[in-house]
Amino acid sequence: MQHVANLTGKRAGAAKAAVEVRGLSHVYAGRDGAVPALENIELKVPAGRFIVIVGPSGCGKTSLLMMLAGLRAPSAGTILCDGRPISQPDPTRVGVVFQEASLYPWLTAVENVEFPLVLKHAPRAERRERAGAMLNLVGLDGFGSRYPHELSGGMKQRVSIARGLVQDPPVLLMDEPFAALDEQTRMTMGHELLSIWSQTSKTVVFITHSLTEAVYLADEVVVMSARPGRILDRITVDLPRPRTYQMMATDVFGALRERIWLQIRTTP
Amino acid sequence: MRGTTLVIVRMALLAAVLLLWEALPRFGFVNPMLLPPLSDVLAALAHILVRADVHQALGVTAAEVVVAFAIAVPLGAALGVLSAENAYFGDIFKPMLFYVFSIPKSIFLPMFILVFGIGFPQKVAYATFSTLFIVIMSASTAVESVKAEHLLVARSYGATQIQILRRVYLPSMLPILLEALRISMIFNFTGVMIAEMYASRLGIGRLIADWGESFEMTKLLAGVILIAAAAMLFNEAVRSLEARCSTWRT
Repeated sequence: MQHVANLTGKRAGAAKAAVEVRGLSHVYAGRDGAVPALENIELKVPAGRFIVIVGPSGCGKTSLLMMLAGLRAPSAGTILCDGRPISQPDPTRVGVVFQEASLYPWLTAVENVEFPLVLKHAPRAERRERAGAMLNLVGLDGFGSRYPHELSGGMKQRVSIARGLVQDPPVLLMDEPFAALDEQTRMTMGHELLSIWSQTSKTVVFITHSLTEAVYLADEVVVMSARPGRILDRITVDLPRPRTYQMMATDVFGALRERIWLQIRTTP
Repeated sequence: MRGTTLVIVRMALLAAVLLLWEALPRFGFVNPMLLPPLSDVLAALAHILVRADVHQALGVTAAEVVVAFAIAVPLGAALGVLSAENAYFGDIFKPMLFYVFSIPKSIFLPMFILVFGIGFPQKVAYATFSTLFIVIMSASTAVESVKAEHLLVARSYGATQIQILRRVYLPSMLPILLEALRISMIFNFTGVMIAEMYASRLGIGRLIADWGESFEMTKLLAGVILIAAAAMLFNEAVRSLEARCSTWRT
């Protein structure tokens, strides 16, 4: 009963697009001339939605994410975030969670989380309080004074998530955040992420190589082709929330996974 | 417990060496003319430490070391950063730097004497030259040790160039820079000593060379102890700083 209410709540608030990509193409200068990396990407992500982008290696999904974060400019097209174009990094609108090695080893967990606030010259007490609350949210209460090398891979990624959320941006971008983790930790982290997401109602754009992870996490899976990256398919995952591990064994789950796999596999 | 044992063993070993230094010449196992007993050397050390000419020599040497270091480190660091950050400059100069680095610098000493004479400028120039290459190489390694992900994170959170320099470059490079500082000082000090001992009128290196030539072994060894102590002191001071960074060094 509860998931249904949750589900409809999410859908009801989904009218406004949190992220909108219009006619985006990207060409970069390679060794043998111009290489088309992304072609005519159209994407509308309603607020509060969990979108997962999958595609073969080198399909430009990381490039797309960099552009959504304002870290790279596309050759053509526009990106709107919260209704306004994004042309440079704006951490109050978009938080980014990178792959494993992105924490600063010379800062403690809490200092890593408050790093974005330090850049904005926020007062120390406010920073600490906010960072502490975020560590609490990701289940790392009491680990604030540890250095990254004293944390496990999963804990490090929790810190990264806390850092991405510390400025309370409406949109969270995640670039294969769990790729370096072992399978069990990865599944647990995915589950935890969903629980954090349900508490914060962020719009999430998540990139992964793992099809199981994609189906397990997503409201919608965006399947991209090999270079030049185009959107091949958008698959709505209508499994109820909260998701459970048992769902992975169902036929619906298997069919969705299969559908994605066939499209990625047949793309040369 | 293991740590304490280790310290005791080390101390015992040191005591044994010092004891042998005292006993062997004292009881005629080695020629006391070549290796005077430790107590005689320490007495000579106490004696030379109050001599005005030794003070002056130490002052000159210290000035040479400090000036050469103050030139070589910033200059080398700037060139190293440039060769790491600027692909064009790096492509041109890096191979050349590697070749020059491999050459023993002392073979250039006669040229330095011809150009700069045998005074203060020559010592500084030669020590700078001996130190420069290791600083360039370390600085360029330090820049390359900055991880691309770390820069990307800072940029994604809207860091300015100054903030990136201060909050990412500097802490990333610090461990390598401290190590470079320590090693450059070894090169620098060696450079000054060699230049002084080879041809000079002033400096502690000159005095030590004189004592060697006039076969004053107690003074010579007292000088060695003095220089060794100064070098070790600097080295350990920087190393203790390094140790504080090593907890997060990856």
